[in-house]
Amino acid sequence: MELGARRVTTERTDDGSFEALFTAEYARVAGIANRVLMDQHEAEDVAQEVFIDFHRLHSASAQYAPAWLHRAAAHAALNRLRGSKRRQRREVAQATQESDRTVDPQKLFEVSEDRRQVRQALARMAPKPAAVLVLRASGLSYAEVAQALGVGIGQVGTLLRRAEAALRKEVTSGTSL
Amino acid sequence: MVDEPDAHGGVDARHLESCADCKARYTTVSGDARAISSLLTAPELKVDIASAFNRVRTAPAARPRFGLRLPMMRPGSRPLVLAFATAVAAIALVATAIAQDSNTFTPQTLTPVPVTLADMESLSQLSAYGTISWTKQPQPQVVTSAAEANTISGLPVPKVAALPTGVSSTVTYAAMGQATAVFTFSKDKAAAAAAQAGTTLPALPSGLEGAQLTVTVGPAVAEIYGNITKPSSGSDITQASLPQLIVGETTAPVATSSQVTVVQFENSLLALPGISPELKAAIKAIGDPSTTLPVPIPVQFGTSSSVTIQGTIQGLALGDNTGVGAGVIWIKNGVVYGVVGTIKRDDAVNVANQLT
Repeated sequence: MELGARRVTTERTDDGSFEALFTAEYARVAGIANRVLMDQHEAEDVAQEVFIDFHRLHSASAQYAPAWLHRAAAHAALNRLRGSKRRQRREVAQATQESDRTVDPQKLFEVSEDRRQVRQALARMAPKPAAVLVLRASGLSYAEVAQALGVGIGQVGTLLRRAEAALRKEVTSGTSL
Repeated sequence: MVDEPDAHGGVDARHLESCADCKARYTTVSGDARAISSLLTAPELKVDIASAFNRVRTAPAARPRFGLRLPMMRPGSRPLVLAFATAVAAIALVATAIAQDSNTFTPQTLTPVPVTLADMESLSQLSAYGTISWTKQPQPQVVTSAAEANTISGLPVPKVAALPTGVSSTVTYAAMGQATAVFTFSKDKAAAAAAQAGTTLPALPSGLEGAQLTVTVGPAVAEIYGNITKPSSGSDITQASLPQLIVGETTAPVATSSQVTVVQFENSLLALPGISPELKAAIKAIGDPSTTLPVPIPVQFGTSSSVTIQGTIQGLALGDNTGVGAGVIWIKNGVVYGVVGTIKRDDAVNVANQLT
């Protein structure tokens, strides 16, 4: 009886911790995925899968929880970006969305084309530099990026600079930059 | 200095003012940063956290199976993962099925046992013949640093001296503490299972009814190079990104039994309906079972042969040099080590030889 009561209490505590973690991190995790996928529905889909994976394997009170979630969101979204069929569908949808919002078709076309190319280039990049760019662009601090990727904080600046240079080189020739 | 306000002062800033080279680099770097920042802008996301949480909460939860599996992987869906799982960590069930004369079993050497996936499935379906419970649940965790993996497992994380060509240096760590499973044999359940298979139970040793087989596995730690991600949709493994190299380390599994010896348990289990004659023959062919850990090698994984690791340790090499998949397994001081991946056999041996 006592054991049963203790188990229930433990489960409740863990559920409570998971809900708190979800509430604190969901918007950010979805934001990271959205930065890559540019699609709210897909981004939330990725974010929820990431939380489900986390909950299945980890304690919600683990110190590394946010870092794990951030990294997993970046990698899962980048991986999804690499799926060609989904990418084609997204690009069509994206172009439609953009054309609804903008009044200057030429400018809109350029913006849309730039974004399409930068995401294609992201998908081609090695996972780590791509993740650095995505996490930093999603507003994570250097310390948070370092924790998410398991690197020293002193390395983040260098990783970021190299990744930015590589990505810009990759896309500059074909964009309106 | 480009996007870190705290860096805009002191010696570095003064140097920048007076150094043309650094100024030029700063201009390039800040140009890159601005361009990328602009390209990576995304429409603001408005999320409904409460309904998202409800969706996640009602998602079906995965329960640990009798047998270990690596996180973020679907058992049975990926031959390489299955090979790793069988070769390095998930050897508990077969380890218990080894003939020996005492009630305790701790392996010292390795013997390959070719099995089919169907054989392994039948071993994992022991719940039809009794009750399986975990007295200590396996809690594999994925962490981002070797230090965390060490904290969880208590094992020193192996260090790879040099990665084979083509293997990504992106590394993830998986770790778990000790886990203990207890299988309690039930004659009634076994009889029902036999009846369902259209046969009857063979003669069983007295005392087998209610006898318990306790298997302790782990702790374990693994370094996973390359990205492990689920398929973006469904379970199509061609959509999955498989790890390129896994270096694992786990304490050798220990099996004990009550009421009957482990050898009696093993013989009885092997005689149950559903176990293939090939597996039975392979296990019975083991020379000195009291000190031998059989490594089940899925037949799809190819060949196996003896290999000497680190000059003196007898190990087992799996696979070939085609690069499709290969691995090396050895036991050192009661710890089972494994190097497995989509690499050549020679590369796996090199990694094993230089592991510290």
